[in-house]
Amino acid sequence: MSDSADLEDLMRRSLQGDASAYAALLKETTRLLRPFLARRISMEHEVDDVLQEILISIHKARHTHDGKRPYKPWMYAIARFRLHDHLRVHYADQLRQAEDIVGLEDILHGDVTEPGLNYESISGEVIKLPEKQAAIVRLIHQEGYTAREVAVKLGMTESAVKVAAHRAYKVLRQKLER
Amino acid sequence: MRDFDQLIAELARDPPGVKPASHPYMLSLKLIGVAGLYLAALLGVSGARPDWTQAVTQPLFVAEIVLLVLVFMTATLSATLLSFPDGFQRRSTIFAPAWVFALFLVVIALAWQADSPPAALPKHDIECTICIVLLAILPALWTLYGMRKLATTQVHWAGGIAMLSAFSVGALWLRLEEANDSMMHVVEWHYLPMLAFGLVGLWLGGRLLKW
Repeated sequence: MSDSADLEDLMRRSLQGDASAYAALLKETTRLLRPFLARRISMEHEVDDVLQEILISIHKARHTHDGKRPYKPWMYAIARFRLHDHLRVHYADQLRQAEDIVGLEDILHGDVTEPGLNYESISGEVIKLPEKQAAIVRLIHQEGYTAREVAVKLGMTESAVKVAAHRAYKVLRQKLER
Repeated sequence: MRDFDQLIAELARDPPGVKPASHPYMLSLKLIGVAGLYLAALLGVSGARPDWTQAVTQPLFVAEIVLLVLVFMTATLSATLLSFPDGFQRRSTIFAPAWVFALFLVVIALAWQADSPPAALPKHDIECTICIVLLAILPALWTLYGMRKLATTQVHWAGGIAMLSAFSVGALWLRLEEANDSMMHVVEWHYLPMLAFGLVGLWLGGRLLKW
């Protein structure tokens, strides 16, 4: 099945409307791409997310393959494109989150002589946050958990924790800077 | 894994049989043909430069026009190839505009050197750039529209090359319409803006060609 000629044959048959050939092609594509992505992305659930994105992109772009030229370069071009998209968003998100944390820490520890500015002093603001956001901020900043540990504890994905924390920091920063 | 099986089943249920996109050579020919008609119509309305019989006897002018046509043709072909995720696996053809453009720059340099003493500068300047921009809008729109129907994975390059192709149509029309032998003017107000809009296309491609 991994033979390249088989993939082209499956693609040709898919383009002619053979649904079972198309399903087989997508399964084989999944099998080929999983190790490719796993080498480049450390989080397994992110590998799955990107892989699903790639499958959908392959489906959307299938009219750009004529079934005659090699399938693998076409497939890997789409896979790299979606992977780069994902990594760009991922790093931008990490950078934004790092900036948020630095911003919040500046506010929390900016003036050590001011007794009002510590975690306890903003706990009043933290509890006003939506329940999940408040729990995330408390776990990270009071109890010292990492985003990954919080994700496991709250049954969320790590990215969802980061997004929620990002929103919470934004609200807190606005309130504390007033 | 159940998620994947479900996704694959859903994708396979969506009719997999689609009409494959035309061959990029055919698509490029269409774009080149339409641009040729557009250019002919523009010249029909505006008229060719009054001194064209004399201009076509100058080898450097002829070389400049021929290379500008080749820049347009190769850029159109390259933009079309770049609209396919794998560049239709024609890597060397994709880079063809770079070689033609380098040759074009050599001819411009020679024409600049031959423009001695320099021909009188025309009274206008930015008007030429504005004309090129206005006339390149339509080719840019139809090229980018055609590219959006495909699936480029090189959005920035594809956008840049598409804009170079569109703006070379505008530059070509102006060079054939305007009786002007000042290379300084031509470079400054025709070709540098053409190149600049190619660079703008790098950014524009990232905005318009995402899918």
